[in-house]
Amino acid sequence: MRRIAAVARNTFREAARNKILYSLLFFALALIASALALGQLSVHEERRMIRDVGLFGVDVFSVLIAIFVGVNLLYKELALKTVYTILPKPIARWEFVLGKWLGVMATLVAQIVVMGVAVAVTSWFESGSEAVDAALVKALWLLLMNVTIVTSVAMLFSSFSSPFLSGLFSLGVFVVGRSVPDVRVLAERVGGAPGRVLSAGCAVLPNLHLFTPSGSAIAGQHITVHAGPFVGASYLAWTSLYAIGYSTVVLGLAMLIFRRRDFV
Amino acid sequence: MIAARPAEADAAAPSGTARASARDVVLRAEDVRKTFRLGFFRKRVEAVRGVSFTVERGEIFGFLGPNGAGKTTTLKMLMGLIFPTSGRVEALGRAVPDRAAKRRIGYLPETPYFYEYLTPEEFLDFAGALCDVPAAARRRRADQLLGRVGLDHARGRPLRKFSKGMLQRIGIAQALMGDPDVVVLDEPMTGLDPLGRKDVRDLILELGREGKTVLYSTHILPDVEMTCDRVAIVVGGRLRSVGRLASLLSARVLSTEIVLRPAPARPGLPAGARRLPGEGDVALELPAGADVDAFLRAAQAGGAGIVSVTPRRESLEDLFVREAQEKRE
Repeated sequence: MRRIAAVARNTFREAARNKILYSLLFFALALIASALALGQLSVHEERRMIRDVGLFGVDVFSVLIAIFVGVNLLYKELALKTVYTILPKPIARWEFVLGKWLGVMATLVAQIVVMGVAVAVTSWFESGSEAVDAALVKALWLLLMNVTIVTSVAMLFSSFSSPFLSGLFSLGVFVVGRSVPDVRVLAERVGGAPGRVLSAGCAVLPNLHLFTPSGSAIAGQHITVHAGPFVGASYLAWTSLYAIGYSTVVLGLAMLIFRRRDFV
Repeated sequence: MIAARPAEADAAAPSGTARASARDVVLRAEDVRKTFRLGFFRKRVEAVRGVSFTVERGEIFGFLGPNGAGKTTTLKMLMGLIFPTSGRVEALGRAVPDRAAKRRIGYLPETPYFYEYLTPEEFLDFAGALCDVPAAARRRRADQLLGRVGLDHARGRPLRKFSKGMLQRIGIAQALMGDPDVVVLDEPMTGLDPLGRKDVRDLILELGREGKTVLYSTHILPDVEMTCDRVAIVVGGRLRSVGRLASLLSARVLSTEIVLRPAPARPGLPAGARRLPGEGDVALELPAGADVDAFLRAAQAGGAGIVSVTPRRESLEDLFVREAQEKRE
């Protein structure tokens, strides 16, 4: 456990000293703050506008950060040959991969907390304390689960591909993953072999739409992050399990690839 | 199948195998081969072709070879960074990679790269944590090692600001963080200035005195002559010689260097002798088999004074060149 924690801590430290991540965070905070101005432009929809723009900022920038850090994670260790110093030490390769993943997740948690606080402060500034409710926290939690999967996928690609290709693949998985319900509908309409291919794709790729359920119908009920209890505890529990399960499988694959690699 | 290994040149033991079983072997490579597949057409490149040798407890072992001989690949196989295509590598009696064995081995990779955003203290703390060293002991050991490798003055500076020599030093320090019994250093002197080289050489000797086993690869031969108990020479992926330096080097006198002051009145040189360049003293090289005594008597009779007489035996460099040339032929 000490070894995994050491790798995680070092990965977090690396991210914390990375100026690019601070730039991304700055843009995210600027976008969230701009929601105040956008709120003024909307009529009687200030609260909705601030929440929508704020959560959109958290969503987009957390995914960008997850992909940016995730695809560089293992590749950089190999390209810079730092792995030659680490792996001869009494650490298993799977521990190293897990430590790196935990380090990135710690970074993402910190980033989402900072961005979430920014959304909460903006909402509170515009609409008072009642604007900061459980629905906002639940939405942030779902976005965290979303990047859990995105990070794992980016890391899987990073274990055998260059950062550019890994980034491209990861972004592709994210876009298609977010559109899974639409792709399913398309598969039914197209039918035949292409339809079966699309259905198979939906089965293999992560259903990331689960993590942005606002505006969807769940169990016959239309839900929204702007009104009511948003999603219940059971929804949060099973989507979290889904995210952790999917990430475990993908991370396991990355560990398998990493296990047999020659570090020439 | 075990490949025929080069004879273990050691007067104290009849063969390498007998030595290995009689003494405590800490590192063992047995008919190790590594073939890489490179490029679009997956061209086969044989980097290591049936290398067998053992490193025994407490010795300083030099792993020599020209560039591209397969030294680093062999060391990486011993460290579990590369998997052999065939053959067996063992560390401390266990098949590589083994966590218990890794805990007792420190490794410095060739031209090491470290996390440049860390300070030496942070880096050593990280290295210690990976070796399961408790936090308090890590701080203590990092302090000691920074002093030992002469980096006390730079403990708060990020590694990105380190020179090549300083990086090599911090690399050695990280290899020692787990207080290992076996230290494997891949080209530890490369890129160092003469002072830096001397420091590393002294450190290797110090580790040897502490009872640690040191295996290091290099092609800087004078360092090997000064530090190593035994050496292995690898050329073109094959082991050419392994054993004690004294046994590997021919005892035969290759030539004799004579320095005279003043020069003899009648310098009658034996056949094959030549005058060496230089001012002042007269320096001569007499070939093997020349009657040195007769020449010295004649020189003294001619009024010359004898400053020095140095028989030149085969050096490690001669052996190295001989092995490399034999391979080429």
